[in-house]
Amino acid sequence: MNDTLSKEILTDDQIEQDLLKNINWGNKFKLWLAFLAVSLIICLYFYYQQIEHGLGVTGLHDYVSWGIYISNFVFFVATSLIGMLISSVLGLMNVSWVKPLARIAELVAVAFAMVAGLIIITDMGRPDRLLNVFMHGRVQSPIVWDIAVVVTYVAISILLLYIPLLPDIALCRDKLKNVPKWQQKMYKILALGWKGKAKQFKLMNNYTRILLILIIPIALSIHTVTSWLFAMTLRSGWDSPIFGPYFVSGAFVAGCAAVIITMYFFQKNYKLDKYITIDHFDRMGRLLVLVALVYVYFNINEIIVPAYKTNTADAKHVQEMLSGHESIMFWMVQLGGLIIPFLLILFRPMRRPLPLMLISIVILTGAWFKRVLIVVPTQLAPYYPIQNVPEKWTHYMPTVPEIAITTGSFILVLIIMSVLAKLFPVIPIWEIKEEINHNKN
Amino acid sequence: MNYFKYYKSIILICLCSLVMANVQAQNEWEVTTEQDKNLSPFMFDDEMVLEGKISYENSCTSCHGMPGQADYTPMAPPPGDPGSNQFQLQNDGALFHKIKLGRGAMPKFEDVFADDETWNIIAYIRSFNENYKQPIPDLGGVEIPKYDLKLAFDENVDKLVVKVFSKEIPQPEVEVSAFVKGTFGKLLLGKIQTNELGIAYLDVDPKLPGDAEGKLHIMVKATKGYALAKLNQKMKIVQPTIRKSAIEGRHIWSTDKMAPIWLKVSFFITIFGVWAVLFFIVFGFRNIKKAGREDDVMIE
Repeated sequence: MNDTLSKEILTDDQIEQDLLKNINWGNKFKLWLAFLAVSLIICLYFYYQQIEHGLGVTGLHDYVSWGIYISNFVFFVATSLIGMLISSVLGLMNVSWVKPLARIAELVAVAFAMVAGLIIITDMGRPDRLLNVFMHGRVQSPIVWDIAVVVTYVAISILLLYIPLLPDIALCRDKLKNVPKWQQKMYKILALGWKGKAKQFKLMNNYTRILLILIIPIALSIHTVTSWLFAMTLRSGWDSPIFGPYFVSGAFVAGCAAVIITMYFFQKNYKLDKYITIDHFDRMGRLLVLVALVYVYFNINEIIVPAYKTNTADAKHVQEMLSGHESIMFWMVQLGGLIIPFLLILFRPMRRPLPLMLISIVILTGAWFKRVLIVVPTQLAPYYPIQNVPEKWTHYMPTVPEIAITTGSFILVLIIMSVLAKLFPVIPIWEIKEEINHNKN
Repeated sequence: MNYFKYYKSIILICLCSLVMANVQAQNEWEVTTEQDKNLSPFMFDDEMVLEGKISYENSCTSCHGMPGQADYTPMAPPPGDPGSNQFQLQNDGALFHKIKLGRGAMPKFEDVFADDETWNIIAYIRSFNENYKQPIPDLGGVEIPKYDLKLAFDENVDKLVVKVFSKEIPQPEVEVSAFVKGTFGKLLLGKIQTNELGIAYLDVDPKLPGDAEGKLHIMVKATKGYALAKLNQKMKIVQPTIRKSAIEGRHIWSTDKMAPIWLKVSFFITIFGVWAVLFFIVFGFRNIKKAGREDDVMIE
């Protein structure tokens, strides 16, 4: 029984009509896309500047060589992990209320994972030498592992988005006659001659199942390996054996928030309140509380264990966080971005769509700054003191091009998600039909 | 109130010592002719200068400063710069005597340094005087012997054997000291006098690290009066040391060649395994297509 769906009796035709409604190139959407495109072009201009003049246009230097680019990369990888939690873990456990959300989660996963790879390239001073990473990479290097698993994760996420989409693509092919020709052609190719036959469903279910199982270790490893980029380095604040689970638990928090925000905008823009209900927000809010609790637990471990030892380099790093130079950002992120929002969501009224969406934006912002706190301060506290260097090397402040390029990565995510949501139904139509038929019986 | 008392007494003590020092300064620092004529029983060499430098820096620099730099501590009377003419015009015997007995603020070093150590310091001070030529006593026609050294190693008892000859006659009662030269200094094996056969035995620890051929760089010095002989020789004494590269062993991250096989295997098997599954699924699209073309009858 799925009790999150609307109690109204919906006919198949009505469901199709409701859920295919978003597939059109309305003027509003064109305006939105044009806005995104112009913003992206502005950001790309700054990237052109960076290629022209090198990484000198950024605030990066000899000590902080991983600034907001890599923080942003970690954040994107983190956010993309939610696809695995919702569609795979909850899906395999037959948690039926997530079914309408699975595709949205996959959409978030694909968009963020794809752009994450590009962000690494923006951190390279000579992107033309990218191929050397593959040609001369050492198998011992966590960076090589990271590239391997991120690419694999993107591939699995795309397949996991695509394969359960087959019946819906076929539906688009059959029902949508007033879309451009190229789009009809695209549906025809992508539908793979889908006729809704039992054997086709069987194959689709088999492949989906394989992918759902395969994605769990791959998704866990992408963020664990990302954490190893730091944890395998002997630096105070990074040299921690719990970095893997710490990152993964943090990833679920960021991902849940991202899915809630996406859900909200899809529901409002595409009038999907019969399919994404208040109950869905309520449950996602509870899921967010659960993952936030796990994350708080890891945060406590990550701070109290080194802080107890008072005189190690790690303890000094923690001291900088708790009461030193980084303390304002630290407490804003921990209290404002994690503890207070999570306490608020404990109350049912706060789990209604609008408040939950707003709280999620706060959490997502906090999660972004949290990554900066993980990446940057450690580099400013090397074991050998920073001396005989230009004064500006003793701190780090991102420059305008750096911020613009980082913003560009977000715009790119929005473009990918908007376009995909315009080409395909964001709610799995065939699964909803099945679900409602099941309810009726 | 208490502070005042302290200040008063401190000022008083300072004044007293100033007066005392002046009184003493007025006295001549007397050295008898015999003491003045006293000569070093050793020829000053680089090693004496080096050892003298260490003693000087430990015991003398605080007042006399660096010789030749005139950076002595301002005191009354001034301690003076040992590199200056005031010092260098004095005889070795006078310096020896003054270091030993001291006067006023200059402490007595008789109990601090043995005679040879005091001569080391003088050798060091003299090294700042280019015009200095060490006076040698009238030996009454006795020639300073020239020593020949022969080294051997007795591996049965792990002893270095040093034979001292002069004109092929074994020399007894010669002071022999032996060292092993290391990277950053020398290790003293021992100081001993030769026996009546002109032989000195010195213990060598057979566990000392040698070079790739098991050789130690042995430095031997033999002295008696003004006679001095030195010998540096590499001797096969210990086990060869097999030197390992600093980046050898368990450094899996250093170079591509060092990648452990288990890592390569698990990495490539995992990645290729996962991608094989993905390609299996992508090729499976054909099956989905084919299934669509089949007649429903055939399936049922």
